[in-house]
Amino acid sequence: MEKKLQSPKWTTIYGFLLPGILLYLFIVLVPLAVAVYFSFFKWSGGLNKDFIGLHNYVQLLQDRKFWFSFRNNLIITLLSIVGQLGIAFALAVVLQSRWIRFREFHRTVLFLPVVLPAVVVGFIWNLIYSQHYGILNGLLDSLHLEGWIRPWLDNPKIVIYSVTVPIIWQWIGLYLIIFLAALQNIPEEIYEAAEIDGATGLRKVFSITLPLMYNTLKVAVMLCISGNMKIFDSIYVMTGGGPGISSTVMAQYAYTTSFGQFSFGYGSAISIGMIIISLGLILLSRRLMGGRAFE
Amino acid sequence: MRKRMALLAGVLLFVWALSACGTGGGQKSASGGGDSTASGGSSAGAGSSTTTIKLTLFDRFLETDADGSVIAHRQMIEEFKKEHPNVEISEESLQDATYKTKIKALAAGQELPDVFEMIGSDAEMFLNNNLIKPINEFLESDPEWKDGFIPSTLNDFTINGVVTGAPLTMLTTSLVYYNKAIFDEVGIEKFPETWDEFLSAIETLKANGYIPIALGNKDKWVAESCILSALGDRYTGTEWFYNLKNRQGAKFTDQPFVDALAALQELGMAGAFNSDVNSIDNGQHKALYYNKKAAMFIEGDWAISVLAMEAPQDVLENTRLAILPSVNGGAGSPAASSGGAAWSIAINANLEGEKLEMALELVKKLTSPEKARVMAEHNSVAATKTPDYDESKVVPLFKEYLDLSDRIALSPIYDAHLPPAVIETMNNGLQALIIQAITPEQLAQDIQKTFEELT
Repeated sequence: MEKKLQSPKWTTIYGFLLPGILLYLFIVLVPLAVAVYFSFFKWSGGLNKDFIGLHNYVQLLQDRKFWFSFRNNLIITLLSIVGQLGIAFALAVVLQSRWIRFREFHRTVLFLPVVLPAVVVGFIWNLIYSQHYGILNGLLDSLHLEGWIRPWLDNPKIVIYSVTVPIIWQWIGLYLIIFLAALQNIPEEIYEAAEIDGATGLRKVFSITLPLMYNTLKVAVMLCISGNMKIFDSIYVMTGGGPGISSTVMAQYAYTTSFGQFSFGYGSAISIGMIIISLGLILLSRRLMGGRAFE
Repeated sequence: MRKRMALLAGVLLFVWALSACGTGGGQKSASGGGDSTASGGSSAGAGSSTTTIKLTLFDRFLETDADGSVIAHRQMIEEFKKEHPNVEISEESLQDATYKTKIKALAAGQELPDVFEMIGSDAEMFLNNNLIKPINEFLESDPEWKDGFIPSTLNDFTINGVVTGAPLTMLTTSLVYYNKAIFDEVGIEKFPETWDEFLSAIETLKANGYIPIALGNKDKWVAESCILSALGDRYTGTEWFYNLKNRQGAKFTDQPFVDALAALQELGMAGAFNSDVNSIDNGQHKALYYNKKAAMFIEGDWAISVLAMEAPQDVLENTRLAILPSVNGGAGSPAASSGGAAWSIAINANLEGEKLEMALELVKKLTSPEKARVMAEHNSVAATKTPDYDESKVVPLFKEYLDLSDRIALSPIYDAHLPPAVIETMNNGLQALIIQAITPEQLAQDIQKTFEELT
């Protein structure tokens, strides 16, 4: 009986896995393969396709706009790693401490933005940033900081930072929950032992909390990179990639190339480029973070 | 256990419902094909009264819009349904920017609806990919229908002799709407006729605390379709444009076009526009005008009926129309503005038999003189010649527009003629141009490069 429980028949295993695998196959792998196929063509939609081999990829490597949008993705990712993970970690530590009240309430409120659709987030922040009616400029005005008032979404030099703030704001809650779960796995005894040794506040955070949840942190960084490499919707709603291309990210560039210019072949090549770059960055982050052993 | 059984039953029911839908659809299309052959043999009357024909229709006539063309469209659809009870129309209306994207996506998947609105710049691509049905023969076999159109609108949708769609509207995309009361208040007696006067008027308006021109270019087409199309023609002349479009030597880097870009940038530098020009849209720029924060805005004639519905009474009464002023040393006529039939209604290439017949009926209904009359009474101009209409129903602004359009020639609308990729580069570039993030020369080169890469 026991033995049977431990190793069910392989048909049972695959039977249960099958629906998931099929779904994954059709909504991820097949489209991916099709995109790879299309990326070898010059194709404007419709019936006529010209096979042009690797030409799209050669073009991609020399495409200033693509690398510019990659730069934008990098900025967003770096700011998010610092902002989302940093703030989430700080909040998690605070929420875990003994003196905090209404813990559930704080957790729920902080998690709320995560469940908002990105389009809604885009619209909300569009209103916040609005030049004439926006709450941000209104607030600055009432604080007599008129010098700080800016056309937040209209200045190409700052627009990429303006669109990053909502992204950071939205996803703090997710990492907060992940970190809280990790924190709860750290045995209380270790802290007690440390306290007996005279460790306080920050000392405990850096010597106990951080090392013990390092693996979770690694996963969080990976999620953060993959999430931000494919970021699209909230920026699309807020600026549409503008002014010009100054807030265009890779996904938006692939989108406008495909659906704005009818270059489906090149658009597919951009998407494949995105995947390769994202995978590269994730591998790089693993290499970098795995190299330092805390344990 | 019972719960699980219920769940299983539910799932099975769901799957069955899905598969039933699938086969249902398949049968219908099969019987549709059968009908056309059957009706060839027997009398068509009996067949058409028993079977329902399903037509899909995609357009931008959102029910929530106040536009005259929307009101007329709704009315025509209702009438068509009454006249053809055996036709079932499933219509999907989307907002402009969304619509353009969706149609392109559907075209790529070769799943275009049976009848749909088509912008001029998409026509060539759709035709080359055999996605739309040329309507030449239908026009020839129904002279009354053909003669109803204003001839130039048909030309806008003719590619190498093939008519790709039935034109819907006769647009002027570039009109300056200005508030006469504000002009009077700051002491500008008449609308500027030269570029220098225009710049000094902008200076005066600004000094008096008004936004000279409200511009919401977030959706990117407004600056190009409503300003640059007309401004460009002032500098380059219309001949240059067709020369360029047909690739007969003219280039975007030619000096006149660069001058036009520079003039637009000059407006930006002079502070003619609101500072959030790239983050508000053309609905919001009209709000600035309604609130009397802005003295002018530049948009097409469709805004007349929007104004008639939305604007505060005093703003509407004080609104006058003008076209962009003449420019220094331009090759184009100063009495011209960009216009034409930007949108048409096209028929899917796959339609056959009865379905095609009904689709054609629908297209004719949507381009009928009757519709033109309803549109006129709601302050809009159709692509067909307008029969007599009840003039008491229209706002004075509409009559002013009709007068104005009699006096001016129409130059090409850029986004109705140029390939989408060129427009994409141009639109993006204009956003940057207006806020001085790119030079006119650089932008001209970028557009030319995109244009050359297309061949």
